[in-house]
Amino acid sequence: MKFIVSSSALLKHLQQISGVINANTVLPILEDFLFDIQKNKLTVVATDLETVMKVELDIEAKDSGKVCIPAKILMDSLKNIPDQPLTFTIEKNFAIEITSDNGKYKVMGENPDNFPKEPVADDATEFSMSSSALVTAINKTLFSVSNDDLRPAMTGVYFELDKESLNFVATDAHRLVRYRRKEVKSSRTDSFIVPKKPLNLLKSALPDNDDELKISYNGNHLFVFHGTTQLVCRLIDARFPDYKVVIPTDNPYTMVVNRTDFQNALRRVSVFSNKSTNQVALSISGSELQLASQDVDFSFEGTERMRCQYEGEDMQIAFNAKFLIEMLNSTSSSEVKMELSTPTKAGIIKPVDQDEEEDQLMLVMPLMLNN
Amino acid sequence: MPESETKKAYRKIIHIDMDAFYASVEQRDHPEYRGKPIAVGGSPEGRGGVVATASYEARKFGVRSAMPSKRAKELCPDLIFVRPRFDTYKAVSGQIREIFHRYTDLIEPLSLDEAYLDVTTDKQQIGSAIDIAQLIRKAIKEELQLTASAGVSINKFVAKIASDLNKPDGYAFIGPSSVEAFMEKLAVEKFHGVGRVTAEKMKKMGLFTGADLKKRTEQELIRDFGKVGSFYYKIVRGQDDREVQPHRETKSVGVEDTFGEDLQTVEEMNPELEKLAAVLQRRLEKYELKGRTITVKIKFSDFRVITRSQSLAQPTKDLTQIIQTAQKLLATALFPAGSDRPQDSATDVDPRVRLLGIYLSNFGFPPSTNKGPARSLQMELF
Repeated sequence: MKFIVSSSALLKHLQQISGVINANTVLPILEDFLFDIQKNKLTVVATDLETVMKVELDIEAKDSGKVCIPAKILMDSLKNIPDQPLTFTIEKNFAIEITSDNGKYKVMGENPDNFPKEPVADDATEFSMSSSALVTAINKTLFSVSNDDLRPAMTGVYFELDKESLNFVATDAHRLVRYRRKEVKSSRTDSFIVPKKPLNLLKSALPDNDDELKISYNGNHLFVFHGTTQLVCRLIDARFPDYKVVIPTDNPYTMVVNRTDFQNALRRVSVFSNKSTNQVALSISGSELQLASQDVDFSFEGTERMRCQYEGEDMQIAFNAKFLIEMLNSTSSSEVKMELSTPTKAGIIKPVDQDEEEDQLMLVMPLMLNN
Repeated sequence: MPESETKKAYRKIIHIDMDAFYASVEQRDHPEYRGKPIAVGGSPEGRGGVVATASYEARKFGVRSAMPSKRAKELCPDLIFVRPRFDTYKAVSGQIREIFHRYTDLIEPLSLDEAYLDVTTDKQQIGSAIDIAQLIRKAIKEELQLTASAGVSINKFVAKIASDLNKPDGYAFIGPSSVEAFMEKLAVEKFHGVGRVTAEKMKKMGLFTGADLKKRTEQELIRDFGKVGSFYYKIVRGQDDREVQPHRETKSVGVEDTFGEDLQTVEEMNPELEKLAAVLQRRLEKYELKGRTITVKIKFSDFRVITRSQSLAQPTKDLTQIIQTAQKLLATALFPAGSDRPQDSATDVDPRVRLLGIYLSNFGFPPSTNKGPARSLQMELF
């Protein structure tokens, strides 16, 4: 079997899906791409058993067939071959020969029958949204996802669909982000948890534009289609914590600050904080916000003052500065609003200006001084 | 040889392991047990009782740690079962640690009866790790009437293996020049971290000793054994850079077992979970821990791993509670709605179970770390 493909087109398509492949896999075949050759069309598949990614591209081919090709060596060679048509010749024993203007390269492939089968979209429910909306949602939530494998429900982003909107929720038990898209609607109320890795892959594979994505899901899998690229991933089979009950509804005190000023002040002051807690204490009184940090072990101290608009009683509350900085970083609003109640209750951060279709709410638990 | 090479600074690591710790404490405190086969642990009548420690007299009959008490009684009908007194063991362990502190503060306790010591620079400027090991063993014998074995070497891995060489009441020293030769001769099953199943796999591949492992490249070992392959690669070359960590916080404690043959039914799996839970519970006692989250790990024959956890209202180390929760988690993960065949709905790949594990985590705050003034605490949402 033989086919001819543009080296740069092949590389570009493979780069979209090669992130799925893990470096040290238990099953050697998972280090391969599956090439499925049809008349003038090539479909390439990569998988780690949890996530499957697939791309399609045009080639010149008369016959059809399949073969598994080791991913790393193929990518490494394509990166170094100048743009030109390449001829792939595949033997019965799955030996592959690549012919270029410069010479010939040989690599042993594997039997495609051993490549894991991809899941099929049985009883799937479908909805659609724009590519940029999904990319934005991922950017605004992924950083809050937990890495604790012992609490699997929180190691992914929770998708919550209903007739009104789509909520994306992520939490690591210390902070929580809820990002709502009001223009995405579903015929039924449903929810599922998508693991971190496929979301990271989508983030880099999808364009930040208005292209429409077709998304479908069933009890076990999520399917995302964008043109000739698709991703299938296994959903996290666990119950997401009841996040709604932890969102305070009546935090009486509000503070509005310039987002960049606040973020920069946190960055500077947190340099002097204790490295294990990153604790920065916020003292708010009148229209002044004071940030203070210290590390007793090394006699480090940092304080700054900045202006804010505050409505409420004077208070002091401490947070992990890393959490605040990441949250402030995930919005582009020039001002943010913090809603507070007591030094031991969750604080809410909201962007002051945001698009009509979106609604972002972030929650962070304070650090408590244990005397 | 360049000077820098010859003067390369080796660390001096001692691994101290108490001999049959719980049983020895019982024999010390109860003269009537001396010279008799005793087993500290669960009684053979109860369900799931296991031997925590057997005295050397009992070991002659083949009684081992983690063995079901029933089986121990069959092997040694005169075996005396003694209920464990963990408070006492804890107190004795503290006394042992005080002895260690005379020589170094770099102590990493692995459990009540085992610790690593880094004596590269010792408090009394004795200089010789062998002398320090002997002084420690002498002090333990004279002051506490107990015996300990010691392993002395240049890293943790070799020190730990060495402490086992002349057990009980002995010590072994493996110096920098003999580490590689020693590792080459070592049988693969002696490698810390190589379990029964991996050892069998290695033997099938013709790997019997460290020397056999050494012939393989790092890539080959990673391909055949996964990530741990790179650890094997380094360790047969005597390289182990892990430091002795005095304040290591335990995040989770767990046990797992790979089965010779894949399990397919709940009837096969539940007894395995009971066995694992018993070993886990013994470990919890040893490390003085109680945890709130119980996690069951399941590895299928295609190496896919899933975990299921549940958090309890209160921290626990109760055997029955661990077993019940683990079995419930396993059942909901594999056998939805009363079916007794594993329902691995996720793939078409073969759904047989090759490994089960139980983990306990969420220990809360470490017991009185007595470190510095106020410590701030991150509050949780859930």
